[in-house]
Amino acid sequence: MMADIALGILGSLPTAIEGTNRLVVDIAMFFGLLVIVAMALNFQYGNAGIPNMGCAVQVIIGAFTVSALTVRLCFMIIEGAGVKLMSWASDYDWVYHMTWNVATANNFLKNQFMLSVSLLLFSLAVAILLGAVIGYLISLPAIRLRATYLMIVLITMADASQIFGRNIVSISGGTLGEFIPDVFRWYPGDKGVICAVVTLFLGLISFFIFRTMLNSPYGRLMRSLRENEVTVASVGKDVVSIRRNILMFASGVTAIAGVMNAFYTSYVIEAAYTRAYWTYWPWLMLILGGPGNNAGTFLGCAIVVALRRIIVVYKFTIQAVFFFPISYLEEIILGVLMVAVMIFRPNGLIPEKLLYVPGVNYSNIVQEEVKVDWRSAPKARLKGGGPLGRKKKEEPKEEEKK
Amino acid sequence: MLIPALWLAALVYASELTLLSVGFTLTYLTAKVPNFAHGTYAGVGIYVSFTFAKVWGLSPYLGFPVAFIVGGIMSVIIYILVIGTLARMGGGSIVLTIATLAIQITLSALIYIYAFWLRAMMGGYTMNFLLKENDFEWIGFPGIFPVAIGISIAAVLVLHYLLTRTKMGVAMRATAEDPELSSVLGININQIQLFSWFLTGGLACLAGAMIPMWFMSTPGSGSAIITSIMAGSLLGGFESVYGAIVGGFAVGLSEILLTYVGSEVFGTWVGEYRPLVPMIFLIAVLLVEPRGLQGVYDRIMARRMISPKTTPTPEAEKKEEGEKKE
Repeated sequence: MMADIALGILGSLPTAIEGTNRLVVDIAMFFGLLVIVAMALNFQYGNAGIPNMGCAVQVIIGAFTVSALTVRLCFMIIEGAGVKLMSWASDYDWVYHMTWNVATANNFLKNQFMLSVSLLLFSLAVAILLGAVIGYLISLPAIRLRATYLMIVLITMADASQIFGRNIVSISGGTLGEFIPDVFRWYPGDKGVICAVVTLFLGLISFFIFRTMLNSPYGRLMRSLRENEVTVASVGKDVVSIRRNILMFASGVTAIAGVMNAFYTSYVIEAAYTRAYWTYWPWLMLILGGPGNNAGTFLGCAIVVALRRIIVVYKFTIQAVFFFPISYLEEIILGVLMVAVMIFRPNGLIPEKLLYVPGVNYSNIVQEEVKVDWRSAPKARLKGGGPLGRKKKEEPKEEEKK
Repeated sequence: MLIPALWLAALVYASELTLLSVGFTLTYLTAKVPNFAHGTYAGVGIYVSFTFAKVWGLSPYLGFPVAFIVGGIMSVIIYILVIGTLARMGGGSIVLTIATLAIQITLSALIYIYAFWLRAMMGGYTMNFLLKENDFEWIGFPGIFPVAIGISIAAVLVLHYLLTRTKMGVAMRATAEDPELSSVLGININQIQLFSWFLTGGLACLAGAMIPMWFMSTPGSGSAIITSIMAGSLLGGFESVYGAIVGGFAVGLSEILLTYVGSEVFGTWVGEYRPLVPMIFLIAVLLVEPRGLQGVYDRIMARRMISPKTTPTPEAEKKEEGEKKE
């Protein structure tokens, strides 16, 4: 099997990507997509303590960038090159001539390597920019307030973006959806393979960016923000603007996933970007793997994506047993797994380790080794604490563990 | 007909939303968690009504008390299994909120599965239904109109009596204010939590049971209503039960009326944007006055106290006292 996969990737024979190999490519692709979202989420919630429940908004912005801007740009360039397209000016023509236009565009893009790559780079750049803008906009009402308000606003924004996508036809074709020109047409072999490779590469780049940021002084500032805002504010940092910058940056990175998903499926429809898929599943990955460290995010993402893809692929086999659509079983698995992980493994599969920055002599700073439980530390200082007021019993237990 | 159908729909919807918003606020006050599953409780209520009307062929009104009890028991089970356990482990408000989201996903999937099971058992439409033909008529009105408004007024009055006159209600308010201090004073906080979760779950399920009497219902319509609930609760101030009564009613009324006015003025396409109305409320409240109507009320009261011209009348003093109690 491994030889087949290697052959498929190197030689890209279309025959090699079938059956199990197709499943592997599919899992790799969705791992790449969702790990970008989950890493950005880890950056925000795991390290800075910002509960971003609006990942779906940022992903949908990436998809809409492709469907509304890149496609138009592509058509303009193609018409400029002298290829005849059917009219796409009005909303009606935009939707109903889309299939023909995209097919023509695909034929044109077949020999245009540079154009395809620049279209891809253009969509990525614009998506990152627009993602940052939308991150700024959705943070506007509630970034100064309690985390609860932020969660409420971001969750509702996911629905709002879907409503706009459904009703404004020129964004993504409304309820019919919209086909996307294939920017990987120059690649001789299977499109899924090259798409997965590019997505994993983008994920790798964003991983290194996130890692560098987390190990920098800014990363330590983020962690201190998570632990105690008041202390951070009292040493002269602007808490609100730090939080907003983090949200904007992570929003931009999350939008990459939307772009790559649009190119992978060659199709954008708002119904595919529900908050259940693009917000709750990344949250499950984060909580399952353990918030605060990227290794946990990778592990959680791999487990969840493999589980989901296997359910999707063997859907018809499993479906025969149940009288209801299998997607509801998936939702129950999501909910129950989330609660179970939170109750039985509050720190996730890989708990966050104490941060050691190379070059800092810790023994000079702290004489005795102090182990800080990053997860439970802020709760002790929260006003009101747990609703039952039982946090006082919790603290001696932690000391016993030491 | 004395009142046009539009106003009937708006008033019925507003009274249902009042019940839901009050429950949402009450949960937030006592457990300090915004319960995202609150709308889905209403989805359970919808199917209690459906079961009574279509499966057993009874009047759906007989299902209302059952819906209250079912919702209450479900809510208590959720509290014992998930929320209470996580709170005891020291989970912060973010962890608890994520847990309620997980509950919402599971519960709505279970409602869908129940609907599919009913379809497999008895056939027919179980996903998309309206129970208007099971309603009775009362001097020209559909029966749900007086019933919905009556139930919401009664619930508000009972709640007011409970919170201000009974020992349980006072203990509940004390718990909301400071759980540790009230436990020192000998209040059994666990009991208070159980009672409040029973009450809110029951109210939500009761409100849900009224929805299919007037509005087209699907298994997902309970979960979809959560935005309106949160908008109502936020408009009322998020931490004030009396604010939530006003807020829920205002959001429910304006959601239907504004959409209607908009579609009259701009064209029918406005109808598609109906879910945006509560979102606009939500954002406007957060941008203008994050503490909602309660904050406005407090500010007016404070100004009246400071200004030397108007000495506080006995009535105003009484109101202030009521304010402090909240």
